[in-house]
Amino acid sequence: MSFSPLIDRLIDALRVLPGVGPRSAQRAAFHLLERDRDGARRLAEALVLAMDKVGHCNQCRTLSEAALCALCNSDRRDRSVLCVVENPTDVIAVDRGGAYNGLFFVLMGHLSPLDGIGPKELGLDGLDARLAESEVKELILATNPTVEGEATAHYIAEMARRHGVRVSRIAQGVPFGGELEFIDAGTLSQAIADRRAY
Amino acid sequence: MSAQRVDSQPAYVIHARPYRETSLLIEALTLDHGRVGLVARGAARPKSALRALLQPFVPLHLSWQGNGELKTLRSAEPAGMVRRPDGRAALSGLYLNELLQRLLPRDDGHPELFSAYVDAMQGLIFPESVEVCLRRFEMRLLDALGYGLVLDHEPLNGEAIVPEAAYDYDPHGGPRRTSAGLGLNLRGASLANMAANRFDDETTRADAKRLLRQVLRTHLGERPLKSRELFQGLAARKQV
Ligand SMILES: [Zn+2]
Repeated sequence: MSFSPLIDRLIDALRVLPGVGPRSAQRAAFHLLERDRDGARRLAEALVLAMDKVGHCNQCRTLSEAALCALCNSDRRDRSVLCVVENPTDVIAVDRGGAYNGLFFVLMGHLSPLDGIGPKELGLDGLDARLAESEVKELILATNPTVEGEATAHYIAEMARRHGVRVSRIAQGVPFGGELEFIDAGTLSQAIADRRAY
Repeated sequence: MSAQRVDSQPAYVIHARPYRETSLLIEALTLDHGRVGLVARGAARPKSALRALLQPFVPLHLSWQGNGELKTLRSAEPAGMVRRPDGRAALSGLYLNELLQRLLPRDDGHPELFSAYVDAMQGLIFPESVEVCLRRFEMRLLDALGYGLVLDHEPLNGEAIVPEAAYDYDPHGGPRRTSAGLGLNLRGASLANMAANRFDDETTRADAKRLLRQVLRTHLGERPLKSRELFQGLAARKQV
């Protein structure tokens, strides 16, 4: 069934959200139109601003509107330790655990030849350059415990060893096949605490 | 026409990616049906039990239905113990999977290829056998595709391979005797060892690697394998 063109367009646009199908998009559209136009305007404005302004941190690649994100900019973090994660949400997840006080490097994905994702796409040349600068003494590999995550960890570990950087891999305790984003904070900080040489 | 149902096929996932809102699109290598494309509904939901199961290296029994290019996954069950691959095994596994995805058409059953894959998945777990494991799989993949290597004679003149002689290899025409140092410069003994599935000698392994890379490149065409970049990146210090 079809509504007026503008409503249809709104419903269609809402479907870009992950997990939102036609029915929930329709529900959301009507909720906004009937009950919360102010909220919807704020949402529209926030979307435009974020899409225009948010880029990647020059140092760790995480999403940030500043050239240097708050973590990279902080003088309270231990700059000799670098934790490599797949996604910006993993930064939050690891940081929330409280067991880690170093800096991050965010791959924005993992090695996946079948998806055309290689070292270049993950910014590993940048990581290589950073490891060569020698401020970093230890690298913690916190890629997801999946096949791609393991392959990525292996690749980066070889790179780090060439620069004489100590490498460790977060401990298991997170189930094989799981993704960091969806694992509870306790398990994750345990895994950081129990990290092993790799 | 009623939808074809397949039950409890031995299978391995070779690739999974998000599909529609909450589903995964799975490429799997199966015993009797070769490579199949399967939609796993709801498997991309955060707490989905399927998500953790539908991973490379996990031996599975898959059931599905459908006649089209993409079938619908009905169930997935673990079939045996999962050995967590270390980084090098994982990287090698991604390479094998890229080979399959690139060279094996969908819905073309090769039970022999499946058993080659099972052997590879089990062999990759042991670091000392990774290289040989890859070579054996590459050879068996070429066999299954109908591009099997000729290793015991020169098709051009029917002459048997001489262990001490040097050979080049034409991907379409087989070995050809040359003066040492020309072309691929393969040792006759290496070809004989490969034919006998013996890889304990280092020269054989080096020759096999060069030969198979050349032949695979011919069949892969212009676009290079993405996983090659990875091995090149790791370069020199570790031979895969
Ligand atoms: Zn940063």
